[in-house]
Amino acid sequence: MNADSLWLTTKKISLYVLLCLVTFAVCFPLIWALSTSLKPKSEIFATPPTLIPQTTTFENYEALLSGRQQYYQSGEGKQEIGPSPAQFFTRWFVNSVIVTLGSTLISIVVSTLAAYSVTRFRYWGRSAIPYFSLLGYMVPSIIFVFPLFLMMVRLELTDNLLSLVFGYVCITLPFCMWLMWAFMRSIPIEIEEAALIDGASRYQVFADVVLPTALPGIIAASIFSMIVSWNDYLFGRVFINSLDNLTLTVGVMLFFEGTHVDWGLLMAASVLMTVPMAILFMALQRHLVAGFGAGAVKG
Amino acid sequence: MTNKDTTKTRPLIDRRGFLGGAAAVGIGAQSLFTGGGASAQSSKTGTIRVWGEPGPYGGAGVAAMNEWAQKNAPGLKFEIETIPWDGVYVKLMTDLAARRPPSLISVESPIAMQLMAEGLLLPVDDMVDKIGRDRLVDGVKWDFWGSWKGKQYVIPAHHQPHLLLVRTDIVNELGLKDPDTWDWNDLLNAAKTITQKKQNMAGFCMALGRNLCTDYHFAALLHAAGGRMFDTSNKFEVAFDSPETVEALTFVKELLPYMPKGAVEYSFLQVVDAHVTGQTAMSFYWGRTLGRAAEEAKPIFEATEAFNHARNPRTQRRSNWNDFQGWCVPAQNNPYIEEVKQALLYQQTSKEWLVKYCHSLMPNVAPTYKDVANSAELRNHPFYKSKPKTVETYYTGSLPNSSSTANELLMGANPLSGYVHGRSILAQTVQKVVIDNQTPQQAAKWGARELEAIRRENIRLLG
Amino acid sequence: MRRLDFLQSDRFVGLLFIAPFVVTAVLFMVYPIVEAIRMAFFSYNPLRPDLIFYVGLANFEYIFSDPLFWSSFAQGTIWTLLSILFQTVFGVGIALLLHRKLFGMAIFRGLLLFPYIVPTVVIALIWRWIFNPEIGVINYSLQSVGLISEPIYWLSTPTMAMASTIMLNVWKYTPFVVICVLARLQAVPLELYDAAKVDGAGAFRRFLDVTLPQLREVLIVVIVFRTVWTFNKFEEIYLLTKGGPGTSTFNLAVYSFEQSMASLRLGVGAATGVVMMVMLMVGSVLYLRVAGFGTEEK
Repeated sequence: MNADSLWLTTKKISLYVLLCLVTFAVCFPLIWALSTSLKPKSEIFATPPTLIPQTTTFENYEALLSGRQQYYQSGEGKQEIGPSPAQFFTRWFVNSVIVTLGSTLISIVVSTLAAYSVTRFRYWGRSAIPYFSLLGYMVPSIIFVFPLFLMMVRLELTDNLLSLVFGYVCITLPFCMWLMWAFMRSIPIEIEEAALIDGASRYQVFADVVLPTALPGIIAASIFSMIVSWNDYLFGRVFINSLDNLTLTVGVMLFFEGTHVDWGLLMAASVLMTVPMAILFMALQRHLVAGFGAGAVKG
Repeated sequence: MTNKDTTKTRPLIDRRGFLGGAAAVGIGAQSLFTGGGASAQSSKTGTIRVWGEPGPYGGAGVAAMNEWAQKNAPGLKFEIETIPWDGVYVKLMTDLAARRPPSLISVESPIAMQLMAEGLLLPVDDMVDKIGRDRLVDGVKWDFWGSWKGKQYVIPAHHQPHLLLVRTDIVNELGLKDPDTWDWNDLLNAAKTITQKKQNMAGFCMALGRNLCTDYHFAALLHAAGGRMFDTSNKFEVAFDSPETVEALTFVKELLPYMPKGAVEYSFLQVVDAHVTGQTAMSFYWGRTLGRAAEEAKPIFEATEAFNHARNPRTQRRSNWNDFQGWCVPAQNNPYIEEVKQALLYQQTSKEWLVKYCHSLMPNVAPTYKDVANSAELRNHPFYKSKPKTVETYYTGSLPNSSSTANELLMGANPLSGYVHGRSILAQTVQKVVIDNQTPQQAAKWGARELEAIRRENIRLLG
Repeated sequence: MRRLDFLQSDRFVGLLFIAPFVVTAVLFMVYPIVEAIRMAFFSYNPLRPDLIFYVGLANFEYIFSDPLFWSSFAQGTIWTLLSILFQTVFGVGIALLLHRKLFGMAIFRGLLLFPYIVPTVVIALIWRWIFNPEIGVINYSLQSVGLISEPIYWLSTPTMAMASTIMLNVWKYTPFVVICVLARLQAVPLELYDAAKVDGAGAFRRFLDVTLPQLREVLIVVIVFRTVWTFNKFEEIYLLTKGGPGTSTFNLAVYSFEQSMASLRLGVGAATGVVMMVMLMVGSVLYLRVAGFGTEEK
């Protein structure tokens, strides 16, 4: 008995250790980024590198959130280098939020309505729609980018956040459709039928009965859509021209292409960029897993 | 076309203050406007986008223009939009294809000439006259910046060569002779000696990544060997598959062991980094390295001097690459042409603003007009006082050796170079040798084929 | 039929609800794809939109005779296959690790699924920082432990750059495999394991005989899906190496992008896109067959 429980405990402990190691390895990039962002310049390049900063400083975060300008010393005093990426950070953040929420809203509304229609009504072609959606889902965004760009040129929407909203609808709608379809399919229609018999209109049934039941699916689809929109680089790169209108992903890459790589600042930007996604993810983890279980998996 | 009215107030007035805000406002500018009193007024409002490279000089130029705007077009504001180093062509494509060009572009000659030949720029001969046709410093012509079929399209902003930057402390320590006398063999020998004798330091560094910097660095070697991409005197036939190209490629290959290991990925930023952090004793670069060193690594700044490139032993050439940076005005979809022209004239005819422009990044940004180059104000800068020889080399000493892919060996403008750089053909040719281990002959042949494709696809520009 | 009845009849509401989807899909899905196919037959320099002209199959001839296209294809394939291999192995391994009733498992699960939600830009930049040859922490650690004597140049040689992009891809997308496998594992009836234990099978045997067969289906689906996606990925490579050094980490998506943006040949980029779509079709058919959808309602 003793040997057995000892063996079990060792197994448990070694499992935990293994889990911790694996988790640490997987999360290391983000941990290190956080660590770097909290170090003062002198410590960032110091050897040996330290995981936990010896001196913690929030100057990088402060610079980003307050829009500190970059200065260049040249003999007669400080001169501004020109628009510094840190100045635009908050602006880029807001842009990303606008675009993400906008495209998600459209995708969710359209796909929920469509999923309900496809699963509850009969008309020609309705069964092909989800599969058509799936197919569209698999088309890589590199193929969409340039035709959409040219469309935006014709509509005079380039350098406008609206063009990004449309672009992101293009890549999020298919999966939202597929997911909502899967969810709607699994909602039993008896309750609706009962409500209809009681004299409710189709619209009332949809709003009062179906929507609440489909909420988990809607949440899952929203999360997915938001993640995809927030993280995109390609569309932002091609559609947007002026510094003011860039999204966070494209703007932060600009840090990298500037005159001077400030790793601390860059890592702080990286952390701030990931935080909204992390919060979203943590809070709604259950829904996400459920959503993926129900449908196909996107990578 | 929507032009944004930025509600964010940017401290442009403060910027002027930073630059030593003198009360004297370009006197020359006043005389431009007829009547000597009433200046042209514009009632337009909005933001005028101006493209520039990363660096303070774009801002310095724009500051002058905003001063003009305050007096003559108070509803307008000039704003600099930085083109990232490796994103020039992406930005070109997206902005111009989107029919939203900026109203004014500050860019180096290959790109300016590409736009010029495509008919996208406004001819500016009237401005040349107002600025002063004979005002250019010795050794340069208006063509170098951009003229095509008899018309001038580009106004000189500055010229900027890249030179051989050398840590003189290291060179003296190892008893290597004066870099000013070096030929390619001496340079190779110095690189080798330094790498062998100094720990953790590479002898030499240039860019070898698939980017614009490599194109520009390699072009200097190509031209020093007497090679060219296109033969301007013979219908722009491709002349790249030549012994000269092979010679230049071979030289790079020989230098490779003495360069930092990561050099095959290097672009503008990394070459500066390598020099300023002491990873390399010598490098090819523009003046920016000295500015960074002054800011971050004083001892390295003190020890570094710039020289004209090492002589090619066969041709005796010491070719450098010169950006011949210029201002050009998009002709289509540009609602502010008049205002831009006047503001640019304002800046160009003000010695004071031009000196500030050059001071904004010493000694990277070299003056193009005689009165500026010879002025006492220009020399009133700490760099000038601590490193007069280096500054002079950038400003004047480099000019006799200047070359550019847009005007190879100064034998005539070539509008195809923009396309060449867009595809990083020169860089890719170099990479075929240093990464793919092809022979220089094979690489040159490959490069020539690519150039032929460019020539074929754009033959309409050469007619 | 009375007007009120019609408005509320099945059909009308159904069509009303599907209308937004149809409009959006046509505008933002069908149109771009059709246009992309159309552009493949034209020569299109984006700087000169006034000079577009029809060139028939010339763009396709160009890419099929371009050695860079073929090496991009080969490199893309290698990158995909290796990425999938590691994703599957690690994915199954981690899922097995997580499929236990241990305290705090939810936290571990959350943390291990993290990589998916990190923007590719962020991970690419962090990667460049920690894998920086001179000042990055990875090289420092490896050197101080004595595993290497000289810094490794993670992004400067073709092999290392390929390895680095594979690592990034594996890091980012293994969570997917984990989620799918985990979901499936949770549905495996425990009796099967009990029966195996009774038969005297050890842990490894149980894995081979019970777990793996149960996972077979989901793994096939996951692998096919992930292969199709990974093959067409752009950002994971471009943001880390820009396709370099040289062109050694090009895949078809990067090739297409460079042709359109840097070479200013939108037609050629579109032709590459068409090729990619054809391969996608092949992959999709494969998937549908394998997932058993082919025979059902169409």
